[in-house]
Amino acid sequence: MQPRLRAVPPKVFALVSVLAAAALVAAAAPAPELPPPAASTFTPDTPLSERVVAYQIEARLDTEKKTLEATETLTYRNRTGRPLDLFAFHLYLNAFQPQSTFMREVRQGSPDFEWKEKYRGSIEVTRLEVVGQGDLTGKMEFIQPDDGNPDDRTVFQVRLPRPVPHGGEVQFKIAFRAQLPEVLARTGYKRDFFMVGQWFPKVGVWWRGAWNCHQFHRNTEFFADFGTYDVKVTLPQGTVVGATGVEVGRQPNPDGTQTLAFRAEDVHDFVWTADPSFRVVEDSFTGGLGPVKIRLLMQPGHLAQAPRYLQALQGTLRLYDRWFGPYPYTQITVVDPPHGGFGAGGMEYPMLITASTTWWMPAGLLLPEIVVEHEFGHQYWYGMVATNEFEDAWLDEGINAYVETKVMAALYGEETSVLNLWGMTAGDARLSRLQYRAVPDTDPMTRSAYEFMSGGAYGTVTYAKTATVLRTLESLIGEETLRRALQTYFQRYRFTHPTEEDFLRTVEEVSGQNLGWFFDQAVRGTHVLDYQVRTLRSDRADWHEENPPEEKKGETLFRSFVVVHRKGDFIFPVEVEVKFDNGETVREHWDGRDRWVRFRYEKKARVVSAEIDPDHKVWLDTNLFNNSRTRESHRRATRKLAQYWLFLTQFLAQWLAWLA
Amino acid sequence: MSRGEPGVVVAGARLVWRRQRVLWWVYGVNLLLALPAALRASMSFGGVLNSSLAGERLVKGFDLTAFIELLAQPEVSPAQLLMGSFVFSFLFFVFFLFATGGVLEAYRRDQSLGAGEFFAACGGFFWRFVRLLLFLLIALVPVGILAGLLSRVSGRLASDAPREMLGFWVELGGFLLLWVLLVAIRLWFDLAQVRAVAEGERAMRRTLWRALKLTAANFGSLFWLYLRITLVAWAGLALAAWVWVKFVPAESVGLSFLLGQAVVLLWLATRVWQRASETLWYQRRFPPAPPASAPSA
Repeated sequence: MQPRLRAVPPKVFALVSVLAAAALVAAAAPAPELPPPAASTFTPDTPLSERVVAYQIEARLDTEKKTLEATETLTYRNRTGRPLDLFAFHLYLNAFQPQSTFMREVRQGSPDFEWKEKYRGSIEVTRLEVVGQGDLTGKMEFIQPDDGNPDDRTVFQVRLPRPVPHGGEVQFKIAFRAQLPEVLARTGYKRDFFMVGQWFPKVGVWWRGAWNCHQFHRNTEFFADFGTYDVKVTLPQGTVVGATGVEVGRQPNPDGTQTLAFRAEDVHDFVWTADPSFRVVEDSFTGGLGPVKIRLLMQPGHLAQAPRYLQALQGTLRLYDRWFGPYPYTQITVVDPPHGGFGAGGMEYPMLITASTTWWMPAGLLLPEIVVEHEFGHQYWYGMVATNEFEDAWLDEGINAYVETKVMAALYGEETSVLNLWGMTAGDARLSRLQYRAVPDTDPMTRSAYEFMSGGAYGTVTYAKTATVLRTLESLIGEETLRRALQTYFQRYRFTHPTEEDFLRTVEEVSGQNLGWFFDQAVRGTHVLDYQVRTLRSDRADWHEENPPEEKKGETLFRSFVVVHRKGDFIFPVEVEVKFDNGETVREHWDGRDRWVRFRYEKKARVVSAEIDPDHKVWLDTNLFNNSRTRESHRRATRKLAQYWLFLTQFLAQWLAWLA
Repeated sequence: MSRGEPGVVVAGARLVWRRQRVLWWVYGVNLLLALPAALRASMSFGGVLNSSLAGERLVKGFDLTAFIELLAQPEVSPAQLLMGSFVFSFLFFVFFLFATGGVLEAYRRDQSLGAGEFFAACGGFFWRFVRLLLFLLIALVPVGILAGLLSRVSGRLASDAPREMLGFWVELGGFLLLWVLLVAIRLWFDLAQVRAVAEGERAMRRTLWRALKLTAANFGSLFWLYLRITLVAWAGLALAAWVWVKFVPAESVGLSFLLGQAVVLLWLATRVWQRASETLWYQRRFPPAPPASAPSA
């Protein structure tokens, strides 16, 4: 069994064993109206980004050998503010070799992972020429800036004889040959299906005064500059192809192949996919900037799932358009990988996403919907707001995971957005919280992706913890304000490379609050939030008298107290709701700074219950069961579960008796 | 004998009804043995839920995330709870193995047995059935090996075959065949038990051999007999699940309990119904010798 290598929220894979038929839950109430987004600066003729790079690539796919022969012309515009003579490039496909850093980390995280030759992938630059400066093939030097592993060849640098001045351009002409692996993580083939991502030499990003060009790691994704792509792919006729960008030309060739041309503008990556089995389903969406063509490339066995993909995508497009701003491209492609090719599923690329489903997926298990929503969300958080996925993974995965919980709640109900089967329900936000509380304290969100304790910690912290942190942030600044902050962040930083500070500062600016104390603990720290109602009691005030009068409701005086204890190290202000048996309710506020607090009352009523966070907004609290205490036992839940356990035991027993 | 022999299945149901005390005893022991496991679960869950308002998420509906978080509480040990359920299930299995002799004797004679007669029959056949159980486990080994092989082959096909769904269909077809094989083995050993009781047989290997020949020669009608009754069990389960989802309020404990017990009773009933029908099927082929009559005066 292949280890889980894809950075898709692990909860997506947690519910696949549940069987049933159930009705689809109606969508929840529509999202509240926000002020309209700032006037759009998008016009068809205006570049959306700085367009630092312009790639022209021609590639030929050998479907038998699973190889690519290609030439690439990269025009790089030096906007760094200084002359550049050193350039760093990614060669991601070289990660699929047994001694690469990527594979070492895979084995480290999954000791039962076995190397097989079919997983081998590679990319070899056969010629590198700089126009006007000659052939520099021999000057290429592999570097390993992260871990010094000499066997890792996912990054090379080359020094030019003459620097490129600021404002100037340099043109690289590169010939390369690539071997695609059987798809293990995002890229590769499975039978006739090809998912060709991270397949060409890609220049790094000049960022904060230096080249930001990390090696490819088990837990990392990608970081590149915006630009344009003109790509021609030659492959057998009859193959259905999808790609970033739009198709601008198609030509059949006498040798039985066809050449398809694609153009993409203001994107930072280019992926393409090919499979003769694809069934194409087309639809459209009309957004704030006009029509968007939707293209589904479905496996024949999954065609029945196409309406589910479409419904989720249409709903997500609509909500993103309303909440943050319009989707600026004219097309979005959704790729449905085949069985055995799920390593390519659940991934995002500019203008193209990969989903994941099986031939049988009950309607009450919303896994296909979640994948489509999440991966489309990346068009905004990563695709347009192009944060550094190596160093700030939470800024795309986590913000996206948070928005995913909001979108899924709006479309499918807060408590039923993942599961609604056989009377069992599960909401996306609650699942995120559950995932977060499994590993709440190992790594801060701000840690670089390749430095996390484990793959599980990476997934938990960047996705689930971030989503839960932002849900808790709602309790401080309000849901509307946070959405406005995200809208401002998107509109201000789209088509740029913002940082952690850009995002946090934007939130503080829009909310008008100093949130440093919260960010220090939740974002930069590993503090755990856990409050409990430790004690709850009522005593008669006349307890000391020898013959106290009979207790009379409403007349007997009681002294009550409630002790709330901060178990974790995360200091967070909380509300405590105390109820009395005369119907009275008191709400207390506690700043949480001390370790505990005692609330005292003298009333002609007994205390009935005390509950921390009665509005259930502090999602970061790792234990909801100790957030409340009642004076008397309520056994309804226990009886119900015990009855279920009784039935399960009896049923198991009669199954075992089949052997008798 | 005619294929299918519908009379045997109906007659078997009538026999179970006439001797329903057998079924109620089996059900009663099943319930009694499961109660300690449920009690343990109650104490475990109660330590967390009884004084917490968070339990409401499990009362009004069933929030799976709340249940998973409950299982992660230090007061609740899912492993221990499962082990407890398994132990009590195993005890029921031992009881059922012990009681089978008495059950088959009650059906063979189609008479109410006194407690002494019943337990005498149970005790008399228990060790013979233990020996049969050992043979059954041996017979299941090749089935297990075949299941493992099937899983490996279908996995490889799913991964490497040109046609994406080939592995799936191979696995589905293979498990269907394995199920038929399991039913065949179960029928064989059921008949061995029936024969052992009917003939008072002590030599289990001889009983097994004869039962094997009998099963092989009449597999069609026996399989159809077994399958029909099994379908009743599954249909009942599906109906109960539908009723539970559609009509039973989430907060309900009593209705839910009654429905669950009805399902357990139904499944136990179908099992003893199979035993009764097998007994009658055997008697039709090998009628018991009439008792010797007293010489006339």
